[in-house]
Amino acid sequence: MADTILVVVEQREGKFNRVSLETIAGAQQIAAATGWTVEAAVLGNGVSEIANEVASRKLAKVYDIESPQLGRYTPDAFVHALKQFITDRQPKLVLMPHTYQVRDFAPKLTTALNRTLVSDCTGFKYEGGRLLFTRQMFQGKFAADVSFGGDAPYFATFQAGSFRGDQAEAGISAAQVETVNIDVPENVIRTRVEEPFKEAKAAVDLSQAEIIVAVGRGIKEQKNLDMAKQLADALGGEIAASRPICDSGWLPMERQVGSSGQTVAPKLYLALGISGAIQHIVGMKGARTIIAINKDSEAPIFEISDYAVVGNLFDVVPPLIEEVRKAKG
Amino acid sequence: MITFRKPLPNIERPQMEADVVIVGGGPAGMACALRLAQLIDEHNSKNPDTQISKENIYVLEKAREVGQHCLSGALLDPRSMRELLPGFEKEAPIDAEVVKEAVYYLTEKRKIKFPITPPPLRDHGNYVISINRFVKWLGQKVEEAGITIFTGFAGSELLIEDERVAGVRTDDKGVDRMNQPKGNFEPGYDLRAKVVILAEGTRGSLTKQLVARFNLDKDRNPQTYGVGVKELWEVPSGRIKPGEVIYTMGWPLTMREYGGSWVYGAKDNIVSLGFVTGLDYEDPRTDPHHVMQAWKQHPFIASLLEGGKMIRYGAKSLPYGGWWSVPPVAGDGWMIVGDSAGFLNSQRLKGIHLAIKSGMLAAETAFASMQQNDFSGAMLGTYEDRVEDSWLKEELWKVRNFHQGFEHGFLEGMFHAALQQVTDGRGLHDRYTTKAGHRRLHRLALLPADGDGRAHFLGKAKGDGKLTFDKLTDLYHSGTKHEEDQPSHLVIHDTNICNTRCVTEFGNPCQHFCPANVYEMVEAGDVPHGKTIHLNASNCVHCKTCDIMDPYEIITWVPPEGGGGPNYDGM
Repeated sequence: MADTILVVVEQREGKFNRVSLETIAGAQQIAAATGWTVEAAVLGNGVSEIANEVASRKLAKVYDIESPQLGRYTPDAFVHALKQFITDRQPKLVLMPHTYQVRDFAPKLTTALNRTLVSDCTGFKYEGGRLLFTRQMFQGKFAADVSFGGDAPYFATFQAGSFRGDQAEAGISAAQVETVNIDVPENVIRTRVEEPFKEAKAAVDLSQAEIIVAVGRGIKEQKNLDMAKQLADALGGEIAASRPICDSGWLPMERQVGSSGQTVAPKLYLALGISGAIQHIVGMKGARTIIAINKDSEAPIFEISDYAVVGNLFDVVPPLIEEVRKAKG
Repeated sequence: MITFRKPLPNIERPQMEADVVIVGGGPAGMACALRLAQLIDEHNSKNPDTQISKENIYVLEKAREVGQHCLSGALLDPRSMRELLPGFEKEAPIDAEVVKEAVYYLTEKRKIKFPITPPPLRDHGNYVISINRFVKWLGQKVEEAGITIFTGFAGSELLIEDERVAGVRTDDKGVDRMNQPKGNFEPGYDLRAKVVILAEGTRGSLTKQLVARFNLDKDRNPQTYGVGVKELWEVPSGRIKPGEVIYTMGWPLTMREYGGSWVYGAKDNIVSLGFVTGLDYEDPRTDPHHVMQAWKQHPFIASLLEGGKMIRYGAKSLPYGGWWSVPPVAGDGWMIVGDSAGFLNSQRLKGIHLAIKSGMLAAETAFASMQQNDFSGAMLGTYEDRVEDSWLKEELWKVRNFHQGFEHGFLEGMFHAALQQVTDGRGLHDRYTTKAGHRRLHRLALLPADGDGRAHFLGKAKGDGKLTFDKLTDLYHSGTKHEEDQPSHLVIHDTNICNTRCVTEFGNPCQHFCPANVYEMVEAGDVPHGKTIHLNASNCVHCKTCDIMDPYEIITWVPPEGGGGPNYDGM
């Protein structure tokens, strides 16, 4: 299989990742310049449908690489299968889309084959018999043309958007699909894959909260946060904080209000032990009602608050929690 | 536990070959790049057969945009600009030509006008500029000349091989608080250069590495510094004319501190004002930001600002030491220009023209090196000869002993200054020595609790929100932004010293000298004195005062992730 370009297309959970079409388009353009032929491969367990879909493009051949161990993605299984396949077929060039999955296994694959990988390319050039890949440097300020030293097979990945997927040429007739069964021994896989799950979206969207109880450095210690949380719960509001609290890791960054955090405009904003530096104020001054509790009567937070309580928050908050609970029954 | 920034070890970094890498895109770096481009263009037009390429000349600038980290008064002495770009006045962003100047000595309530303006402070013929806008404009010229500026990239380490500077490593991007790579991690580049020109400005971090590595401070006076705290105000029209210049000495400082203020009238009712406090004061509770706030409360200054509005804030240190503190400025693979070298005339309070001149001289040297393909220490050493033979040296030589004369206070300083004026800069000795400013700090135990006449500038300024501001409010007006999830770029080599020794000996002066509220002592249970150091690294305005003034020399300022820092628009 000399002078062949192999495009490894991507599927996840049995769904074809259409960014792969961009890579096919890129491969077709390279083929047009070099006279090489383009083939594609998909890996999985029962993914012939994807192989058939890919086969409608102008390709010399499509490989459906099958193994029960390829059903759930693991870098070990993918590398094992691809290493064997590439060693057998010896393509000249292997192209892949620069996806998270590819980023995960491509370095291992190329290292295992003792080859180099040019990753995250944005284009190619074919000059005087030499194939060059373009990569961005200095955050896109510069582009470098990179060529391969050493022997084929060569490996490259393309950045999303480098080619247009809708320009992947269709074939006159469907390409031949060859099923390749590869034995992936159980023991090469060192990871155990659990059920996929979606991480709950950022647990909190402060900008939607109607009531916010925010704490500042006056809270003194991390364990005192409980008290503020109780107040927030009693009121049915969210807890937030000024920067020092999130900076110390007592609350996650997403709960930080101010110029380097969230901007909020709740109906009620309760500021506990927050002095009111401008950096905090710009993030909450749109609140409809601001209640501030601070022991320093000259704290700037009082300048913008509707209700000011000068006092120690540890004296004020516990009875407040009681009263709120009582009022709410 | 605070994790400090350092280049990640044992990772593969992209390599790039370069002819010339200029670290820092301020006036010195930009003038250097532009002059180099001019020389190459001139050569190429005359020598079609031996073309020199400009393609591998790069300027690294840590700010997201050119000029955003530049801060100065600023008055420009046009001498070097006229050499670099004759007729530059026609297109450069200039606010006004100086038309009127006055010098005052302030007491707490009164002002005493100097009957004549001392010659060094005569500024007719100089221009009021915004250094930010001026450098932005110079940057455009550099890019038009075909030289690449990498904005958002800092020089984090020098590559030194066989006693030679072989290049610069840029900052690692996408590193989290614990110094671990994040999803967007991008390793710093190794720019392998034939010559590295350090144009980092005051107290350059690579320059510091270089000085330490090759003992460049041997037989030199230690460099001494001041820190300038600046605000930009918009005032009612007619209050201060464009091109009007006021200097004050005296209050709020006492006779024992060095420093003074400027007020420059710019265009459109904008006034630049600031106070430079010498970083060689005795009382560790001195807060240069507070000094500036106290100064604004003087009736004279308050009357100038009445009804106006503060629109921007910033701070930067400046090297005062003069000629005797300038290290060797060239060696194998490297040159140093501008404030990094200490080319600043502290008597005239001007350094921009010298920065530009030194950049040009370094460019001429780099060009000769490129022509002969010789980047050895001997060849680059001709930069030192060029400096020696230029008016740069002549100007600095005349004021070589100026700042040292003020070591023992204002009155003695005036005596030395006068004597030096009539002895062509010599004064009482050929070479006045000095010691580093942080060594003059007195221990708290030796200072009277009442502040000894300095109480009005010790500790935090409160601010009234109109004329005076607390530090955080001022800081907000600097537009400072950093990626929050990154290691601290203020590297404290031993935080135990802060929490155990410094807290009792000096009372943690970092909280006071930092004009950006980076350093805080917060209450903690598990330390002997109940307070522990906390860093708000993302507040940092890159002034370098901490690196200079900390009494134990345990703070090293290194560049944070490129792109972060103040936003000195119009400053």
